[in-house]
Amino acid sequence: MLRRIRNNLKGKEPDIASGTVPSQTFEDSYAQRLQRRKVAIGLVTKLLPYIITLLYLVGYVWMIMIPLEDLGNSIWIDENALQPGQATTFWDWNDVHAADLYLADIEALHARNASSLERATFVEQQLAALGLDAAIQPYTFHTNALKRSGTNAYGIYRAPRASGAEAIVISASWMSRTNEGEGTPNLRGVATVLALARYLTKYSLWAKDLVFVINDGYMDGIQAWLNAYHGLEQQNLKTDLLEYSSGVIWTAICIDYPGHSFSHLGFFYEGLNGRLPNQDLMNSAVHIATSTGGTPVVLYDHIETSYQRPPPTWYMPSILSHWLGHYKMRSYIYRLFNVKRYVQYQGLNRASGVHGLFHKFRIDAITLFAVPAYGPHGFHTLGKIAESLLRTMNNLLERLHASFFFYVLTSARTFVKFAGYLASAILIAVAMIFWGLRLWVVAGWERATVVVYIESDMSDEKPKSSERWPNAAPMVAWVPRERPVLSVLSLMGATHVVGYITFLMVKSSWFCHTLEANHLFVAVTLSILLLLTPFMTLFQPIRDIFIPPPNIYANSSTERQAPLYLILKAFNLYISSIVISITSVLNFSLAASLAVLLGLPLALTSPASLRKIPAMWRYLLVVFVSPMGLLGMALWLGVGGGGVQGLTKLFERTIWEWEALGVWFLPFACVVYLPLTLQGMLVCTLPEQ
Amino acid sequence: MALPKPVLRLLFILTAVLSYLAYDHFSSLMTPSPEAEAAAEAFFTQHYQSNTQGHTNNWAVLVCSSRYWFNYRHMANALGMYRTVKRLGIPDSNIILMLADDAACNTRNRFPGSVYSNKGKLLDLYGENIEVDYRGYEVTVENFIRLLTGRVSPTLPRSKRLLTDDRSNIFLYMTGHGGNEFLKFQDNEEISAFDLADAIEQMWQKKRYNEIFFMIDTCQANTMYSKLYSPNILATGSSKLGENSYSYENDPDLGVAVIDSYTHHVLSYLENVNKSSQLTMQDLFSTYNFHQIRSHAGVRTDLFNRGLDKTLLTDFFGGVAQVEVVDEQVSSGEPSSAQASPKVEPEASRPPKQPRAIQNPQKARPKSTIPSSSDSNPLINQAKGWGALLALSGLFVWSMKRAEV
Repeated sequence: MLRRIRNNLKGKEPDIASGTVPSQTFEDSYAQRLQRRKVAIGLVTKLLPYIITLLYLVGYVWMIMIPLEDLGNSIWIDENALQPGQATTFWDWNDVHAADLYLADIEALHARNASSLERATFVEQQLAALGLDAAIQPYTFHTNALKRSGTNAYGIYRAPRASGAEAIVISASWMSRTNEGEGTPNLRGVATVLALARYLTKYSLWAKDLVFVINDGYMDGIQAWLNAYHGLEQQNLKTDLLEYSSGVIWTAICIDYPGHSFSHLGFFYEGLNGRLPNQDLMNSAVHIATSTGGTPVVLYDHIETSYQRPPPTWYMPSILSHWLGHYKMRSYIYRLFNVKRYVQYQGLNRASGVHGLFHKFRIDAITLFAVPAYGPHGFHTLGKIAESLLRTMNNLLERLHASFFFYVLTSARTFVKFAGYLASAILIAVAMIFWGLRLWVVAGWERATVVVYIESDMSDEKPKSSERWPNAAPMVAWVPRERPVLSVLSLMGATHVVGYITFLMVKSSWFCHTLEANHLFVAVTLSILLLLTPFMTLFQPIRDIFIPPPNIYANSSTERQAPLYLILKAFNLYISSIVISITSVLNFSLAASLAVLLGLPLALTSPASLRKIPAMWRYLLVVFVSPMGLLGMALWLGVGGGGVQGLTKLFERTIWEWEALGVWFLPFACVVYLPLTLQGMLVCTLPEQ
Repeated sequence: MALPKPVLRLLFILTAVLSYLAYDHFSSLMTPSPEAEAAAEAFFTQHYQSNTQGHTNNWAVLVCSSRYWFNYRHMANALGMYRTVKRLGIPDSNIILMLADDAACNTRNRFPGSVYSNKGKLLDLYGENIEVDYRGYEVTVENFIRLLTGRVSPTLPRSKRLLTDDRSNIFLYMTGHGGNEFLKFQDNEEISAFDLADAIEQMWQKKRYNEIFFMIDTCQANTMYSKLYSPNILATGSSKLGENSYSYENDPDLGVAVIDSYTHHVLSYLENVNKSSQLTMQDLFSTYNFHQIRSHAGVRTDLFNRGLDKTLLTDFFGGVAQVEVVDEQVSSGEPSSAQASPKVEPEASRPPKQPRAIQNPQKARPKSTIPSSSDSNPLINQAKGWGALLALSGLFVWSMKRAEV
């Protein structure tokens, strides 16, 4: 290198002396540089398929490795102010007895099937009897999917020595989150909150107001309460302003205790639209539950022992069973299930409990879930944990900010950092965009026989037409061709319009009502219609629109046009890649799901006429990952209770979540995801030209 | 309005004569006689070089630079030192206490109005008699440096000033969160070891101290005194570079740590010290051990020119004045002061500046000089008086004559 520079310098010396020599050396160096660049580009182009394969491979393997114990970090508490588990708890059997008494009343209400107003009034009376500002809040949701109404009850304890500018919420929903809020009442959770209200208000050390909320229903009640608290109006929600209000809510805990006793304390933390609470809250709760509460902690309701059981050996070779029985493998499987649950909630933009609705208002909230069991823990443990956790939250001086907001918990005590998982989805997105760029280049050139004019160097004059022929010769060469970007963009726009129309249809009241009447018919019809749209291109009249008529008057270079499908595929890959990259930062689970679902099927699409059966798999692959295919898969797997009923429920729930809670999954699936798969299908059905 | 001219003249002359007489009388007091000077010199040279040292008043500056509830222990550290120095005799007027937060009245405090430094809540440091001079947001680096160097606004109350002189021994205690060569103030600024060293150098140049005992309890505390360069400073810190200082224990009812290890160690040791204690700095420093403090506490002695074993703890922690045994030789010809038995003078009544600072010579000197000047020449003195009277009457007669004209 040095020698080359020296040579270059030496070469420059004659520059001043004589004119001809340096100009040649400069030309040489330029030529060399061009040559080098050409070689490099050639190398990259030649290696590109391997690079893309490598990126795919690394991306997917990385994703699989996320739950590995060795890749995770153990949790720690970042915020100095929290001081979790430092305070003595004074929650005692006396308070457990109070909780038992509350529970008896609540069970009586439940047993005689009391209306939501009765229940709320009971809670209000109990809270008012403790000297709290208590009130009820009736609400009604009128959405296309469902109509829900109920009555929330809440009470506010004003911190006697503080300004009341901040508040902590302790809530229990009437419905437990067991089976995602389907039917199990959270009686003991409600009793715990009431007993806590009785107990905590004896102390004057609160720096923040305590707000006790018993919300009706599951998600609906807390949505109505939070909206009313923050003065947000929602079109399909009818409720009044709250009678009493407090300060800014910083943190919230939701208590869910559906069983008779519990063995483990489970934590649910995923919020709507991929939001997560600050990890410090989770970590403090884990620390307190183990140290102060003395109860084992788990993520969700996944009790680790069930995954640590040695796998059955009778159907697999001994080496494999030995390998699966290895503690690392078992820990991996346990973590894998945790991550799967996480991706399930976050990928569908769902909240894993009522706490998830708090995150929208920048309130850090988690659900403490008492995993039902025959023992040994009960009100005594839960009360202690809640007291200690509230003391910790009381210590906060500013909102939780020190720890992570983006993380994947692989177990209650280990997590993967942002950098530890993000790259997997990004790598696949990069592979997709590389693939698209390659197609873009390929589309721009064609190998063709052309007539080349050999220009003579002899004269500068233009040769006469008669003299041209001897100078011309036919030869095979790369010829540039036009890329029909505009028609591809309009085609893609059309698919997005189709997606938007689908979205409007799905969320319309008409769809919801017919869905109730004859469940499957509508969905299947819609799916089939959507699946058939790409085949419209097989009809000659439509096909003609996309294939420009041969231009007789154009000269050879502009006459040629790249096939539509190539450009469409390239753009489809770009858009998918961009969507994956962007969502990966906000909602990793969704991005990872997209990368898994779209990554390969969209890259493998290519035109296949119906006659060529072996090539049809490419089309079917895209159909399989399309929303229609996934719904069919869900039907087959029996999601949501199985069969048509399950599918109806799935639809209802998704639509309800969009309309009432503002979950972005439905619009995203219809307006972004569906069109991307439609484009993939189109690539398969477009003419090869 | 005007007085008649003769009266004015008379007044003028009277003033002139009286001022002369006054000058004559007091000049004899102001110019010390060589004998008295020699006596004073002898007194100082004899006593200054002995094992006692020249300080006449004690001051304490106690700084807790961190706020927030979870830093309860830093408030407790400073208040613990406050209690100890007060117990050992430094009055509130000589203690500058800086507390960056009010842990006692924090809403999270289960025991409002109290700050405890131990697990069992045995000793309330806040108590009923406490004077916090700088509190809350007043505790800033600027205010601290202004306090030390005396560059304060003229409107600043005396209770917030460090009114020291070159006979003052200052105990400077700091606690908070720190690092390599800095101590954090209030979560938004910090004082560096260089700032501190320069402030103390300014104090030295302005004769604002006799000796300083600097103690700091923070992470990497020993770096804070590494940059000091002014004389007569003894410094000690809780931990060496790259080392944390830890809290000692926490009270489960309060839910926070109540005191730091190092400060707890020092305070526990000082609990056994009383005003008349003869324990020295060396005794304190030799109790330092990693096992108890959980960090390597350090001492810097190169700027200090007394032996540690000759430096009493009460020289800095206590407000105990020197015990002077005054010999007969020194108080020449004054039987009353010769009989003066050794007595303990509390420092509260701070005498003015040196060289009249030390009480014994101050008492002795006027009594020895006045008789000596009157004995020397009574005739001349009498002549002076008569001369003045004559001049006065002459002037009076002259002015009366002028008035008639």
